[in-house]
Amino acid sequence: MIEKNPGICPMLNASSGTAKNLIEKIKSEIMRNSLVKRDLIWLELTGCSGNIISLLNGSNPDFKFLITNMVNLIYNNSLMAAEGEAALDALVNKTGSDYILAVEGAISTKNNGLYNIIGRWKGEPLTALKAVQLLGDRASHVIAVGACATHGGVSAARPNPAECVSVQSILKRKVIKLPGCPCHPDWFLGTLAHILLYGEPELDDRDRHLLFYSMLIHDRCPRRSYFDNGVFATRLGEKTCMFKLGCRGPVTRIDCPVRQWNSYVNWPIRDDTPCIGCAMFGFPDSMEPFISYDTTRKR
Amino acid sequence: MAKRIVINPITRISGFMEIEAFIENNIIVDAKTEGLLFRGFEKMLVGRSPFDAVYFTERICGICSTAHGVASTMALEAAMKVIPTEQGRYLRDIIHGCEFLQNHIRHFYQYTTPDFIKLPENYPLYVTDHNDFRLPEEKNALLVKHYFESLDLSRQAHEMLAVLGGKAPHNHGVFIGGITTQASTDKIIKIKSILNSINQFIRDKMIPDAYTIGEYYQDYYHNGGGYGNLLSYGCFNNYAELGTLYVDPLAYKDGSIRPFYPSGISEEIDYSWYSDDTEPYMDKPKAYSWVKAARYYGIPFETGPLARQWLSGEYRHGISTMDRTIARVLEAKKITEVIGVLLENITPDVSVQKEYSIPEAAEGEGLIDTTRGALGHWIEIDDRVISFYQIITPSGWNLSTRSGNNLKGTAEKALIGTTIQNSDNPVELGRIIRSFDPCVSCQLMYIQMVGI
Amino acid sequence: MIKSEKTICQRMKQIIEESESNIKMLFKMPCIYARTSVLFELSANTAELNELCSQLIENENRQVQPTQSNITIEQLSQFTGKNGNPAYVAVNGIVYDVTNNAAWAAATHFGLTAGKDLTDEFASCHAGHSILDKLKVVGKLI
Ligand code: HEM
Ligand code: SF4
Repeated sequence: MIEKNPGICPMLNASSGTAKNLIEKIKSEIMRNSLVKRDLIWLELTGCSGNIISLLNGSNPDFKFLITNMVNLIYNNSLMAAEGEAALDALVNKTGSDYILAVEGAISTKNNGLYNIIGRWKGEPLTALKAVQLLGDRASHVIAVGACATHGGVSAARPNPAECVSVQSILKRKVIKLPGCPCHPDWFLGTLAHILLYGEPELDDRDRHLLFYSMLIHDRCPRRSYFDNGVFATRLGEKTCMFKLGCRGPVTRIDCPVRQWNSYVNWPIRDDTPCIGCAMFGFPDSMEPFISYDTTRKR
Repeated sequence: MAKRIVINPITRISGFMEIEAFIENNIIVDAKTEGLLFRGFEKMLVGRSPFDAVYFTERICGICSTAHGVASTMALEAAMKVIPTEQGRYLRDIIHGCEFLQNHIRHFYQYTTPDFIKLPENYPLYVTDHNDFRLPEEKNALLVKHYFESLDLSRQAHEMLAVLGGKAPHNHGVFIGGITTQASTDKIIKIKSILNSINQFIRDKMIPDAYTIGEYYQDYYHNGGGYGNLLSYGCFNNYAELGTLYVDPLAYKDGSIRPFYPSGISEEIDYSWYSDDTEPYMDKPKAYSWVKAARYYGIPFETGPLARQWLSGEYRHGISTMDRTIARVLEAKKITEVIGVLLENITPDVSVQKEYSIPEAAEGEGLIDTTRGALGHWIEIDDRVISFYQIITPSGWNLSTRSGNNLKGTAEKALIGTTIQNSDNPVELGRIIRSFDPCVSCQLMYIQMVGI
Repeated sequence: MIKSEKTICQRMKQIIEESESNIKMLFKMPCIYARTSVLFELSANTAELNELCSQLIENENRQVQPTQSNITIEQLSQFTGKNGNPAYVAVNGIVYDVTNNAAWAAATHFGLTAGKDLTDEFASCHAGHSILDKLKVVGKLI
């Protein structure tokens, strides 16, 4: 048997530092004055507006760095100072020039989109649906941020009363998808940084940024040895494998185990709970039940 | 003739909202607050596993997700007859407290201050449409500095939450019995140290900043009052050993404070986009919002930080736009103290989790005061799945529509009578509405319930 | 429908071949990280050999009690993976055990539950994938 593991391969290690590396690169480009700030529109649509909160939780870089050094944030409902039609001016005037569009939330299509009105322009309601149609085609890149935007998510959960759909279902163009509920700030900032520096990043067959979405949680889970030895938790709060409680780590491709959340202090499995697959297509309906106690425990 | 004003979007709130107001001789004579987002969570929850309600309902709202996790957990505990241990309650309330801090810091700096201070206009995000900025240059500059500093502190509030909750928004920690994990000493110490810096920030910057704004916008102590009826379901209260650290369930009306009785809650839909059998129905005559009208014995009440500060006796300066903002920052300080006390009483490494089973049929309610005010979840279980779910959010109280007896919602009432300086740029409306910290993401009522 | 002795032996031969070439590689490898990963592979190989041997022994025993080979749809519906029952699913007439398959946590998989014939679902999601080979076969659906 192998006595001592010399550690993780440095190459692998480098790839999990990613977002930070990209940001370092951005910083040096800024120092050399070679990075041109681009315009960013962040639309909040049919959802909980939690992805913008998650973005504010980013620390590497933080929000101030984002709006000072990376982009001109033109529109965001939660944060912009203007209100009413003056706020919408920024949006409507934007359709001619270059910008990157980030969308959080699904798009409600019921009643011609009237279940979600995001503003009023010249007396007419601007629905989430219309906003995406208006801004989607002309953006240089469209990034769907979070579960609702990438595949409908919780907003489209059965029986989908507001008839919510993903951004991709409305647009015929390429949409970069960053599923997660919410999206981790690094996944978004890393993707944005890549676009600013090199253009569209390498995507998988479902348009997820490969840098973040290539490995299964289960493959890098610190509790994997418990799984392999059949040691399964019977209730939350235990330190062993969460598989029998319903862990979705084995079908969820994302880097939570190595990245972790909120300034990298914790993540759901380390909090002694099963992964609920929030970064996987199909969340939530396909990932339920989240927690089960009555699973058979034979080996 | 009255002049009609429409503001949409009301930015710097969570969710989507329109204000429609009518102005005569520079005075608002009528107003409507309209919630413009509908998702239908209560319908979605039917048929799901009751255990899933906790993580599912958190997704109602990105800025106050923990609040829904807590209310949902309490409703489940009631239905399953699980009584959480005191340690479990302390731990859960610490997580809830962290969400209060995140919320209040972001609401005050990111949502409220841009109404009153001029942020650097070389950021397109901060370009404004009016000129009613009254702070002298150096004070304005100081608040701008704090606006950006606050981003670190609110982020840390969520970091502190994640230490026990796994991640934020949409934490995994709050669950039946208290929280999922244990508070080891390293976690306690980490939370303490973050709490310390947040406490300092609130004391040295946030509270003085709120009073600075109040000083230059004195008129806002005299508008936005509303009915002056205040209500709280209670929070950080009724601990076996620690007693009440903040506020008990109370209601204030006509100058007197009385205990609050849950049986007085009702919800009306006369002016909301629902048919009588509570299906969405946008062609309904008279209806103008997805928000329903929550009432206590038929009467509108205000809930939130000012109501709690008033009912607990911490702050009784007045009921107005500015008092609401002052109460919010003072409450932030109070919450840091409450978390401090709870932390002192934590026994490290206690696990509060059990193997739970779902009853064949049961029902329960979870009423809790949270960041924006009184939040209630009601659950019914049949055949081991959710058969009914009902949510009444704080904004269902504060931003309610009119009710059958034509009583206007609390915020509508607060707008009426306000003097507008410049009807081409009615900044007063947004400022008054934001003092309530509206959360339209939360507004997704489906099923009518009268006299629960 | 238990794996035949022949397939087990073929697999064993394969593993031995792989291991031999791995050992050859190890002699030439300069990078310590790559070497470790090969060593891990080797130890995985011995683990699999071990597993295969137990299967051979199990096969011996099984021949004495050839129950379970035919399963009706009613019987299948008992095997939901809950409350002590194993989790079985049927695809194309063959019943597989997914009780401990990682992708079937809590006996559920992308909104599907165990105890059912999921032929159509499998065809719509995994057509052309060879993932069924990895599952333990428990019988035939009749
Ligand atoms: C609704 C239809 C289904 C969907 C959407 C689905 C989806 C998936 C996905 C996405 C994975 C791979 C996760 C990854 O590695 O990235 C997976 C793995 C797997 N699925 Fe399914 N699946 C479906 C139906 C089924 C059925 C009916 C079976 C019946 C046996 C099945 C058995 C498996 C197994 C055994 C694996 C693990 C594969 C491995 O070992 O690599 N799936 N499924
Ligand atoms: S806890 Fe989940 S991800 Fe980790 S080893 Fe167990 S099943 Fe895999």
